[in-house]
Amino acid sequence: MQFDLTSLVPYFGDLAAGARLTALACALALAGSLVLGILVALMRTAASPLARRVAGVYVDVFRNVPFIVQLFFLFYGLPEVGVELGAFATGVLALSLAGGAFTSDAIRSGILAIEPGVLEAAQVSGLPRVAIYRRIVLPIALRSAVRPLGSVFVNLILSSSILSAITLNELTGTAKIVAADTFQPFEVYALLLVLYAVLTWLVSLSAGALHRRLNREHTS
Amino acid sequence: MMHYTDFTPHDLVLLVQGLGVSVALFAATALIGLVIGLAWATLRYYRVPLLAPLAALLAELLKNSPVLVQLFLVFFGLPVLLELDLTPVEAALITLSGNTAAFIYVIAVSAIESVGRDQLETARVFGLSRWQTLHRIVMPQAAAFALGPLAGLLVNQLQVTSLISVIGVVDLTKVGAILNLRTLKPFIVWTVIGLLYYLMARLIAAACARVETRLRAHRACCWMKSPARSIPK
Repeated sequence: MQFDLTSLVPYFGDLAAGARLTALACALALAGSLVLGILVALMRTAASPLARRVAGVYVDVFRNVPFIVQLFFLFYGLPEVGVELGAFATGVLALSLAGGAFTSDAIRSGILAIEPGVLEAAQVSGLPRVAIYRRIVLPIALRSAVRPLGSVFVNLILSSSILSAITLNELTGTAKIVAADTFQPFEVYALLLVLYAVLTWLVSLSAGALHRRLNREHTS
Repeated sequence: MMHYTDFTPHDLVLLVQGLGVSVALFAATALIGLVIGLAWATLRYYRVPLLAPLAALLAELLKNSPVLVQLFLVFFGLPVLLELDLTPVEAALITLSGNTAAFIYVIAVSAIESVGRDQLETARVFGLSRWQTLHRIVMPQAAAFALGPLAGLLVNQLQVTSLISVIGVVDLTKVGAILNLRTLKPFIVWTVIGLLYYLMARLIAAACARVETRLRAHRACCWMKSPARSIPK
């Protein structure tokens, strides 16, 4: 039994490239999740029963089906209907769709937590509906949702490792190659595990800090 | 040239087998994870030196790293490190149990902490031992507190089992991959697989809700606030 990390040093460049791809996919998926999450959260809190129902079904399905099944559905299914996206774009799309469901949860509770008085005041003062949403509802909801959104993002990063299953050589996919090359799977995956843990720990730390900063004057 | 074939009645058998493997591994690892996670939480409750912080660190690592990487570490890494043989099912059992244990630990710790310090003080003043306090005072309240998060965790862990297909366990997802490759009908195959997972998730959620209502009706207490489902995938 031995644990030797030194022989992995020549592969650090490859792993860094994989990490960059993971970061890019997660950043794009975060943006996609946010757009989708805001849209769905608005639908779920809308007056129209149809909008609420459609949004509810979307969240229900994407929360209760494993991510890898969603990913395979898109990866193998989309080319079938003539949409050739490639592994990276499919991965980002799948992450955004899954992330959107959880993001909408966080934003929805943010919207529901807004004091009714604030909205009534805005309505009484004659602000148009779009302005009420853009200037009042969303800023308040997003601000109070920063910490939960942080944990959604952490889960997005963890889920992104599954993109290696559709031939994408992001961090985990690259590590598989390195493990096969060096015959040191234990060292490679132990290092990878710690890397992910540190990365997600930093993300939740910064989300917590940002949350406190943005909500400081409102909680005291 | 590869020859693609249509669905056969045998595929149904294959689906049921995959479903069985997924359910069996889910049930087994949930149970083992529950026992291990509670044991870790007990270490913390008794403030066992060295072991308690070690359990906390391990739980933190497992909670914050991808299950896929944990699977690879156990399935590809452990056999090389310890010079032993592991089948995919054994590796899946070890990994999923450990991962579930980490989340059970987190839930148990926050559930125990939800019981006010003043109650522990009172129990001590009344001369209850630390075990009696845990058994009589902390556990009933902590269990009620933990039910909501636990239901969320179970639904989540069912979905996590789908990852063991990547190391070659023939579970429901692997059966989907096999059928997908053979019939080249991805929409039908993955919709059916997704639907089966969805139904199982709803079943688990409904079962948990039933247990929760029963327990609440049984106790009829008003101090148990329903905790929100707080563990996203």
